[in-house]
Amino acid sequence: MIPVLGAGFILLFRNPRFATRAALLVGALEVLALGAVIWQVHLQGELQEGRYLRADALSAFFLMSIAFVSGIVLIYSSGYLRHTGEGRFSSPRWFYALVFMFLFTMISVCLSANLGLLWIMMEGTTLASALLVGFYNTEGAIEAGWKYLIVCTVGIAFALFGTIVLYLAAVKAGMSPASGLDWISLMNAAPGMALDPHLVKLAFVFVIVGYGTKIGFVPMHSWLPDAHAEAPTPISALLSAVLLNCAMYALMRYDVIVSRTVGPAFSHTLLLIFGVLSMVVAGLLILVQRNLKRLLAYSSIEHMGIIAIGLGLGGPLGLLGALLHTFNHSAAKSLLFFGAGNVRHNMGTLRIDGIQGISRTMPQTSAALVVGGLAIVGLPPFSLFISEFAILSEAFAQAHYLVAALFLIVLSVVFGGFAYHLFRMLCGKPGRRPENARLIPSEYISMGIAALCVLYFGVRIPHFFNVLLHEAMAVLR
Amino acid sequence: MGLVGIATEKILSSFSVFLFLTIILLAVARRISTSVLLFSLQSAIITAEVLATGFQEKLASAYLVGILIFVIKVVAIPRAFFVLTKRLKTVHDVKASTTPSQSVFVVAVMIYLSYAAVHSYGGAVRAPGDSLAAAIALILTGAFLMVSRKKALMQVLGLLVMENGIFLAALLTTFGMPLVIEIGIFFDILMGLLLMGIFMFRISDTFEHLDVSKLRRLRG
Repeated sequence: MIPVLGAGFILLFRNPRFATRAALLVGALEVLALGAVIWQVHLQGELQEGRYLRADALSAFFLMSIAFVSGIVLIYSSGYLRHTGEGRFSSPRWFYALVFMFLFTMISVCLSANLGLLWIMMEGTTLASALLVGFYNTEGAIEAGWKYLIVCTVGIAFALFGTIVLYLAAVKAGMSPASGLDWISLMNAAPGMALDPHLVKLAFVFVIVGYGTKIGFVPMHSWLPDAHAEAPTPISALLSAVLLNCAMYALMRYDVIVSRTVGPAFSHTLLLIFGVLSMVVAGLLILVQRNLKRLLAYSSIEHMGIIAIGLGLGGPLGLLGALLHTFNHSAAKSLLFFGAGNVRHNMGTLRIDGIQGISRTMPQTSAALVVGGLAIVGLPPFSLFISEFAILSEAFAQAHYLVAALFLIVLSVVFGGFAYHLFRMLCGKPGRRPENARLIPSEYISMGIAALCVLYFGVRIPHFFNVLLHEAMAVLR
Repeated sequence: MGLVGIATEKILSSFSVFLFLTIILLAVARRISTSVLLFSLQSAIITAEVLATGFQEKLASAYLVGILIFVIKVVAIPRAFFVLTKRLKTVHDVKASTTPSQSVFVVAVMIYLSYAAVHSYGGAVRAPGDSLAAAIALILTGAFLMVSRKKALMQVLGLLVMENGIFLAALLTTFGMPLVIEIGIFFDILMGLLLMGIFMFRISDTFEHLDVSKLRRLRG
């Protein structure tokens, strides 16, 4: 229902010149529609639509994330695009059309009941966002877009292979070919597939490498810093905050099946390895970054590593932390990217050595950056502290001391790195006086909402959110 | 059994050899057009295999899939490649980073590895070992092409060869997934190629060349 609505509105849309207003309208409708779905799932437990679409509590949780981020991103874009020129595939019309196609594919990922459809839609997200990444047509953007397209397509091809192997295992275990890719059927038949552990393990290895490419696990992350840095700011926010989460969602679905079949040790060990590796490498690379958006991109990689560690640990706190972290990270990262966009617009550059003294020239933006920066390194009273603390507690509870130690070390390193870079940007004599440093309403609203969220959730989690969170966890066990 | 039956049997038992042949030839190909023709030939062989399987197992969906492959991979995509080569005015050289003899050596090692892999997983699937090894070798060769060829077009070709391999592996082990999914996969690949084409135009417009090893501005 909902993805079709989304796609339908896109088509309506190529014509009007006042694209921005239409986009906001469609965006609002989309958010409302998603809200309706989430509410229904909460009331009924799960929704099924035909053979291929299904929404359960886990989908609802991720859909809420998507709705939230896409809402504020659309608000931000309406102001951001005021200085984009025309060009083939590069006008505001195309921007919004592509954004909605992108959203359509991501929503479909969360709503698909069939692993094959999940794969098709994941590939779709790559395709839809490639043009968005290369939107600016500069040298850097084109290179980033090409790398993104190629690396992610190869990764997804591996995921396809993994899906096929899983299908093979299912069919061999006696499931009918037609339902071999259906998630619910696979969940139910999982114990039966334990007769052939090698195939299932092989499938999971390919799947984690494949979808892990889209999540940004090291060493498959090469596309991420480029794509997030060169894309227009609202797109970077969408990529970091939503797409990475969707890919994680896909991985979660596979992880549950594999855990039921061969026991959780195998998949969780792999998750832990990739998670720790991503955290460590990204954390170290953060120290040497020279471009603000690349810095944020590496931070995304690090946080995806945190989520993977949470998933790999399992247990109630680990799962809670991981799921909560997907949402918290989205909010904080969007805030940071919006601030970065403002910096770029006013100072003309994103190079950290080129930006100085913005605490004086752009007080509101720097406030946003400071709030976002404090949040993203995991300090209280912000929400990320809660989720990271939960994951850390789980690590200690399960006596994974090495993991916990690395976790803490990397967090401290990242804190140091962010503090260093932020200080360099905030203090010092301002080099260039930006023409217009005030925030326009669209930016105000979007950044304000994100900041409020990050702050509020750190103090207490709204009741409804909590309920949804626990229902989602129930699905994963 | 009639002529068709004999032909089917022959195809099924020997197509993997022909695939290996195309793989080795791809390793030494020096021009883009040759590589594209080899890819086209590869896809034709796979089409034949699909149709033969369909005939033998009496699966109607296999015919449809076979026709799809033929139309898309044997006809449409190579045509698109040739059109692109002409429009982009690229030099025809493949710009490999390894000499032909090195490439053949690498490909030979990969074929050996594919056989080794099939041998260790051998009992799990019901396809003849040769064909599965061919599929895996295709995947590995596709990856090798992507890594060792510096032209953007060749990277895309390597990707396509890889997809060929994955598709073949799927076909051999499960006789195809539900039809809707297969069509979806095809559609995805097509859209992906369309986008890559768009990007290639942009690359050549902005950079005046299609050599992806020179796209190294973004680092660190």
